[in-house]
Amino acid sequence: MFSRRGHLTLAHNDSSLRTMRWRAEVNKASGVDSEVIGPADIKKLVPFMDTSERARYPILGALYHPPGGIIRHDAVVWGYARAADAMGVHVHQDTELTGIDVEQGRVTGVRTNRGSIATSVVVNCTAGWSTLVANLAGVRLPIQTFPLQAAVTEPVRPFLDTVVVSGTLHVYVSQTDRGELVFGASVDPFASYSTRGTLEFVEGLAGHVLQLMPSLSTLRLLRQWAGLCDMTPDFAPIMGHTEVDGFLVDVGWGTYGFKAGPVAGEAMAECVATGRTPELISAFGLRRFADGSLVGEKGAAAVGH
Amino acid sequence: MILIPCPWCGSRDAGEFAYGGEPTPRPDPRTATREQWRGYLYLRNNVAGWTTERWYHRMGCRRYLTVQRNTVTNEVRQP
Repeated sequence: MFSRRGHLTLAHNDSSLRTMRWRAEVNKASGVDSEVIGPADIKKLVPFMDTSERARYPILGALYHPPGGIIRHDAVVWGYARAADAMGVHVHQDTELTGIDVEQGRVTGVRTNRGSIATSVVVNCTAGWSTLVANLAGVRLPIQTFPLQAAVTEPVRPFLDTVVVSGTLHVYVSQTDRGELVFGASVDPFASYSTRGTLEFVEGLAGHVLQLMPSLSTLRLLRQWAGLCDMTPDFAPIMGHTEVDGFLVDVGWGTYGFKAGPVAGEAMAECVATGRTPELISAFGLRRFADGSLVGEKGAAAVGH
Repeated sequence: MILIPCPWCGSRDAGEFAYGGEPTPRPDPRTATREQWRGYLYLRNNVAGWTTERWYHRMGCRRYLTVQRNTVTNEVRQP
């Protein structure tokens, strides 16, 4: 499930190198193995990388996180679903939510295309359609939906062990166990629910990848796809209670990162079981937008904003 | 490729435009409550389907225009 292989976040200018140093120190203070390395050490880790000064955006250094790696996220999600199923949780696939019943500001049930369920608690933990689901309960969310595209190449022999991310070039590259290179970038430039890939995206992506590793120019792309990202104004998720009693949200994860999922799930479970908001997620409430106390953590995702 | 119908330049590639998003009427800052003002700043309808939105022809005539777009299919038409 988890392939540990080291993670590099590249710095192409003085200010991002300064940010990398700062991040490395914050990480170290939290007991995380993380350091800033120079172009020579980057070249040792990734021999195919153009670390020369001739590059359009020369690489000045990188934040190196040796324990970083790749998680088979789909397998992890199915693992959770199976474990929940074994513990007696009902998972209804291919079931569309058509309505949420609210009486006097309290949730009383949900309606689906396969029947109704009476309940006093509903947790909206959808992605892509979170605003549409919240609207059914009469709750408005400060979220806009943007497609996030990615692409893979044909499989080749293993040559890239580390995960490489460049915020300046808006690109990340890694190689799967099957040998395919996985490329990704930032979200599309306009809001949409469309999950079709675009030529504009792969053109830009390929250009940026080749600036990092020019020798990949003969590789062929195998496929590309898009997923929906729910983006909040401060790029941080929204968790906890809403103004409708019994209607909770765990939404707006956008590009925030998969790793926070399990602990967010635990905190949400505590929310449901006790009716109180755990300290850990108290800063992520829906009220923060009306109160003007946004979360300032733009660096949480692999690709910056 | 998505074509945006610019009333001045004709149909042009969406890459020439900057996305302006759905129009949000600005409340009067002298009379708006904090709630209304922050709603104006942050809340959007995020419609799945036909919606009216603003685009800016940054690589063309540099004017703002209004178009209708289906956010599910990315089909575009004149309002």
